[in-house]
Amino acid sequence: MNQQLIEPVLELQDVSFRYPDGSVGLDRCSISIPRGTRVALLGANGAGKTTLFLHLNGILRPQSGTVLFGGVPLDYSRHGLHTLRSRIGLVFQNPDSQLFSASVREDVSFGPLNLGLDNETVRSRVEEALHAVGMTAYADKPVHNLSYGQKKRVCIAGVLAMRPKVLILDEPMAGLDVAMQVELTHILDQLHTEGMTIVIATHDMDFAYQWADSITVMVNGGCAANWDVESIPEALTELAAYGLGMPKVAELQRVLAIGRIWDDDISSARSHQALIKKLTVATASI
Amino acid sequence: MLIEQSAYTNRWRRVSPAAKGLFTLCGLVAAFAAATPVTACGIAVVLCAVTILGAGIPPGRYLRVAAPALLFLFVSTMSLAVSLKIGGSVGDVSLHMAQTEYAKVAQVCGRSLGGLAALLFLTLTTPLIDIIALLRRLKAPEILLDIMVLCYRTLFVFSEAVHDTITAQSARLGYANVRLSMRSLGGLVANITVQVWQRSQALHLAAMARNNDGPLRFLEHTYPNFKRDMCIALCAGTALVALSMVIV
Repeated sequence: MNQQLIEPVLELQDVSFRYPDGSVGLDRCSISIPRGTRVALLGANGAGKTTLFLHLNGILRPQSGTVLFGGVPLDYSRHGLHTLRSRIGLVFQNPDSQLFSASVREDVSFGPLNLGLDNETVRSRVEEALHAVGMTAYADKPVHNLSYGQKKRVCIAGVLAMRPKVLILDEPMAGLDVAMQVELTHILDQLHTEGMTIVIATHDMDFAYQWADSITVMVNGGCAANWDVESIPEALTELAAYGLGMPKVAELQRVLAIGRIWDDDISSARSHQALIKKLTVATASI
Repeated sequence: MLIEQSAYTNRWRRVSPAAKGLFTLCGLVAAFAAATPVTACGIAVVLCAVTILGAGIPPGRYLRVAAPALLFLFVSTMSLAVSLKIGGSVGDVSLHMAQTEYAKVAQVCGRSLGGLAALLFLTLTTPLIDIIALLRRLKAPEILLDIMVLCYRTLFVFSEAVHDTITAQSARLGYANVRLSMRSLGGLVANITVQVWQRSQALHLAAMARNNDGPLRFLEHTYPNFKRDMCIALCAGTALVALSMVIV
């Protein structure tokens, strides 16, 4: 799939932003997020990922450059921001920084009630969102008795209940155990199947390579590079130069290909499990 | 934490908070309307029995929750009952117990016990989030409720932060002696102060991201047996008030 051909849902054009203390948030950053795709944003700490997300949700306003949603520059009026934030859901990294109410059900209802929906609609949306993240059984539990991973899922439910077109998650896998990471990946896959555009900031190159349709690298507040995942195997050296590592699966494939141990057939595998499966099939046919 | 545990696990968790609130109100009225201190104490015993036997709160936990309030009541009662008498000569100081004050002290004590039992019934059977939701339905001021919601939520967030900081300090011998303890305590206060500020900023951003532009709005819980619960609470509450007036 060529990402360039899909109409962008969100776009940043030469956006710059400096925080009041003088530190650079974004520096002439340009990025395009195609509709219905999964985008992984990689970058070292302080590269500007969170600042970028706050721009996409209209919380921060660019000091220069333009942010476009659906091809139209953002409208920063009260009504414009209300519309934007109902379509772009933002899940922050730390769940304790965004859960307001001590009750799971109450907290999930916070967003949809802010949209001005009636109680019955909100009630059904809350149940639906809790079901989507597998937290229905915890609906009446106090938030402070939940585990970190469960709190994170409540945060996602709180945003899903607003039915956004784009879901932005800031390092969703940080602090989650392997089982929780697998569950969260399933949830994200399900949402993608339903047509949602998903943008994730992560440090996990292997996850990004396995899950995303495209990978964008941020360096010092700017968008340094962008690849479709299909072209990552050819760009490994370039990717490694950013100091973010390279996908282990792609690295192994490259070594196997150089040594002519396996042919190109294994190159389509993007996860460890998929590669093992392909190698097993290939071994059996020898 | 004891109160939290009981509020979420008691037998009457699913009973409408409005009904429990109504019964509590009747309990308070009964305690104040009681003709004699003994009757007020009787009301307290009934409310205590309802909480322990009805809602299934373990008696040990009930006593532990009530202990600080009972201690405070004891000290207050003693200070009312006993007064200091200073004689004419130097060093002639004695404790004096005025006979006439006994009736008043007994009345205050009885009423306080009744009031305490009524409030313990509500707090041990109803989570604070339900009480806040009830206050919201009763049209309590929004600003007050928002502060209650945030305080209650951040109470747990910061108690965890305090716990983590103390553990980290202890791991590096931060509380090894008095001097170091004072130093660590100062560091703890400074650290938590900064965290409070940062968390409040983060909560503000999170609220904006979820389209909030004013009071914090949450979905109200519905209780299928609301009418039945209210009828039972009203009957029981009225009986309690009647009992307090009839029994002398």
